[in-house]
Amino acid sequence: MKKAFTAVTALLLTAACGGGGGSADGGGVTLTYALWDDVQQGAYQQCADAFHKANPDITIKISQSAWDQYWQNLTTQMVSGGAPDVITMQASNYPQFVANGQLLDIQPMVTADKVDLSQYWPGLAGLWVKDGKRYGLPKDWDTIAIVYNVDMAKKAGVDMSGLTWNPADGGTFEKAIARLTVDANGRRGDEPGFDKTKVAVHGIVPELNDGSQGQNGWGDLAVSNGFSFIDKNPFGTRYFYDSPKLAETADWFRSLADKGYATPYDKTSSLGPDTMLNAGKGALGITGSWMIRTYLDSKSQKFAFAPLPTGPQGRKSAFNGLADVIYAGTEHKDAAWKWVKFLGSTACQDIVADNAVVFPAITSSADRALKAHKAAGRDVQLFVDEAKAPGGTFLLPVSDHGDEINQIVSTAMEEVWLGRKDARTALTAANQKVNALFSGG
Amino acid sequence: MNAAVSVSEPMSVGRRRLRRLPAWICLIVAIVISLFPLYWMLRTAITPGPELPSDNAGLLPRHPTLINFERVLGLVSRDEARAAGGSGANLSFFLYLRNSVLYTGLITCLQTIFCAMAGYAFARLRFRGRDALFNVFVAALMVPPIFTLLPNFALVKQLGWLNTYQGLVAPSLLMTPFAVFFLRQFFLGIPRDVEQAAFIDGAGPWTVFWRVVLPMTKGPLFTLALTTAVWTWNDYLWPLLVAPGEDTRVLTAALGVFLKQSPNTSPDWTGLMAGSALSVVPVLLLVVFFGRRLVDSIQFSGMKG
Amino acid sequence: MTTTTLAKPATVTGAVPGRRRGDGRVALAFLAPVLIGFAAFYVYPAVRGAWYSLTDWNLLSDPRFVGLGNYAELAGDPLFWNSLKVTAYYVVLTVGMQITIGLGLAALLHRLTRSLVLRSLLVVPWLVPNVTSALLWMWLLDANLGFLNHLLTSLGLDNQGFLTSPELAMPSVAAVNAWGATGYTTLLLYAGMLLVPPQIYEAAALDGTGEVRTFFRITLPLIRPILAFVLVVSLIDSFQLFDTVAVTTKGGPVDATRVVYYYIYEEAFTHFKMGYASALALSLVLILGLLTFVQMRLLRASRSDLA
Repeated sequence: MKKAFTAVTALLLTAACGGGGGSADGGGVTLTYALWDDVQQGAYQQCADAFHKANPDITIKISQSAWDQYWQNLTTQMVSGGAPDVITMQASNYPQFVANGQLLDIQPMVTADKVDLSQYWPGLAGLWVKDGKRYGLPKDWDTIAIVYNVDMAKKAGVDMSGLTWNPADGGTFEKAIARLTVDANGRRGDEPGFDKTKVAVHGIVPELNDGSQGQNGWGDLAVSNGFSFIDKNPFGTRYFYDSPKLAETADWFRSLADKGYATPYDKTSSLGPDTMLNAGKGALGITGSWMIRTYLDSKSQKFAFAPLPTGPQGRKSAFNGLADVIYAGTEHKDAAWKWVKFLGSTACQDIVADNAVVFPAITSSADRALKAHKAAGRDVQLFVDEAKAPGGTFLLPVSDHGDEINQIVSTAMEEVWLGRKDARTALTAANQKVNALFSGG
Repeated sequence: MNAAVSVSEPMSVGRRRLRRLPAWICLIVAIVISLFPLYWMLRTAITPGPELPSDNAGLLPRHPTLINFERVLGLVSRDEARAAGGSGANLSFFLYLRNSVLYTGLITCLQTIFCAMAGYAFARLRFRGRDALFNVFVAALMVPPIFTLLPNFALVKQLGWLNTYQGLVAPSLLMTPFAVFFLRQFFLGIPRDVEQAAFIDGAGPWTVFWRVVLPMTKGPLFTLALTTAVWTWNDYLWPLLVAPGEDTRVLTAALGVFLKQSPNTSPDWTGLMAGSALSVVPVLLLVVFFGRRLVDSIQFSGMKG
Repeated sequence: MTTTTLAKPATVTGAVPGRRRGDGRVALAFLAPVLIGFAAFYVYPAVRGAWYSLTDWNLLSDPRFVGLGNYAELAGDPLFWNSLKVTAYYVVLTVGMQITIGLGLAALLHRLTRSLVLRSLLVVPWLVPNVTSALLWMWLLDANLGFLNHLLTSLGLDNQGFLTSPELAMPSVAAVNAWGATGYTTLLLYAGMLLVPPQIYEAAALDGTGEVRTFFRITLPLIRPILAFVLVVSLIDSFQLFDTVAVTTKGGPVDATRVVYYYIYEEAFTHFKMGYASALALSLVLILGLLTFVQMRLLRASRSDLA
């Protein structure tokens, strides 16, 4: 007994020590770069290789982790003082890291190296400035569009271009959704005798579980209805979730389930809209440009994109940007800045563009990405058109307390979707809680 | 252990069989419910990823494939994995497996041995403050682990042990109050004759413990070791918090990499199920090779209760 | 596990016979590793945890003393009270399922067969990590593509959002964990039943007592101690629900599954409110301590008629 235990323990200890050994740094510097999107990892690996060629003393190690774990990992790593040197950051997430002093102010370096901030899409660079300090250089942007099943639309005879929407009767958008809904007997949602209790294909698979911003649906339509999130963006201190414009929009989304055009919220698949659409259980959805490849490369169904419907205040797409930021605790500030500068330059963004995965933040590179998509036979012009349209986009709100706001608003929204409270009541209560966060300090 | 106890047979065999049919049916249903989910895991794991949305109802997939296992094991390139409906995320299944084995193995071996020593001391040795000390251990049993988990995390962080093996194993390597308690109760229950004989021969408590007591108590030690091993193998929260890094990630925490890769996409179910299936293999081996000991040792704790 | 065994009279009457009193030094050697472990990872953290609960601390800067502020906050925190309520609901559900089904299966096994294979098969789900079984059931229970809903629809019933509807989410989580634990419970209870002398059953059979009656009149009263043990083990275990919720529902829909462990975890590690989380944890310790005390009082009365 004793011998066996000692032997096993010794063996395990040896293995542990052997395995846990530190990684030797063959001279030079190794930077860790964190990102979440596995689709983009290949493109950024190419950037890293190009960068290493130009700076042989700096090696980039990409650390990818799934979106569901990314932020958790990051906070844990920051707590332990071992976060990646350079981090892919989402605009709505960065203020909390700034508040805790975890991100490096890169304004002095931007000034010293005279980085041209006008090369980026208008609006993107400004998101990353708080109190005169700059925390990131823009890397890409995204806009929102309708994705629909081409065959289903053809069968239904629905024209997806130029749809309109209003919260009262849903406009031609709701008509299209109704037409695309098919019950078990083959009757369409706009036909008499449609059985809403036995729906085979839902007209829309909405992404309702969408945080405090509703980027993939309710946020865009609410803004096109005249809603605005916050008094000042970035870093406003008063939210307007109690706006009737938002409540109307939420009620409209909820009504879709009552009419049988969408799955009731409590029976929504936990697998996400793209699985439902791929399974042929839904005809359209609202999604972002980072999903282009997921849909257009699908082998199960043929998908295409259409612009968002035009609301009472016009067509409004959320416009969101990612940036690369530097961890304040990095031991290699200069190397990290070099890498961030490279990531924010045409040298890297053109590589990303050629991979045609996302739209790079640099205007010329974005055009290049569009061309690459076209060359591959993917029609995604409308994402760029939406971004270019004057007044056609709005920036997602960026403020302090993003994490708490997210929890408050998404719980309130859930209550609306489940029919437990009407939108007005739930959102007014939520808005009070949200604004209390700012007055409380 | 008492498997030899015979069931009495007063009625005629045929009538009994018939009357017992509904009971047998219940039992078989229970077995099916226990095992079917695992079959479904396997069924999903051999379904091609892109076909899963349309092929998820039949008992067998239309085009069975092993690609999901291959990509979980890292046998195919990133592009092939993506084409198979998976993520391009890096996976080092064997690394995670090794980490899990280390984590479980180290804790199980050392904790069992140390707690056996302490259990023996509490049961047999006389020293001042013994009962008071033991009562403190018993009180610690009642404390929900989350209370010590938060400061332990802070401690491991201060020691700079996050994402290291020592940080991972530290809090449970030396003891858990439960193990000490369990083994003390056990040592109390075994007869003293043998030890006494050894003592008369002039052996000290140390020799008696290692040479006489331990070999005699393999059964309960195995029971405890097994329970500890299963708990540690299944542990999720602690490894997730202190060792999420690639090099020290254990299997349970690693299964998360199959989840949503980016907002709005769905999890890679086929890969997930293949990974889950592989993570269950060690467990199944345990059942195949140690079925009797396993069952006996669980029942052992039942009888000791 | 503790309470029942504690109730037994402790039979330590003397040290190893033939030895002088006092093994202080030897004992220290035997206890050293455990004492170090206990001091470093139980006592010290407990003291620190109590201190943190009086501070405002985000893990990154230094803790700031706030007195009883955290406790005042949690007293009025609806999410905390909700989490306790939800946890209690879960505990009742899952322990109820485990014990009723476990008892039934154990009785069946005991009266039907001594097959080792059957018992091994029943215990397999217990060996599957919670994370794995949570992921697996998330897929089986999916509202649209899950196997269980295929089964329901093929029987002509409506599909159900097992994990997405606020009414069904907690029962589903409880059922998932009952799936994992019932085999283990069954084995423990079965072991208890083996201890009942077979003559009692023979006598009952000669009297013509039916199986169901035998179960309620003979088996159940005689296995009370082991039943109490199983109850306590599964209660303690269930209170710690985290993995399944973290994987499947993340506390939703609308806080329906935000159990206390998950809530504490969120406060500590997603919201960086370490001080507040410590206060929550310490309050949980006190509440559970109180419950255990009451439980011990109640269980003391329930001894087996065999003893």
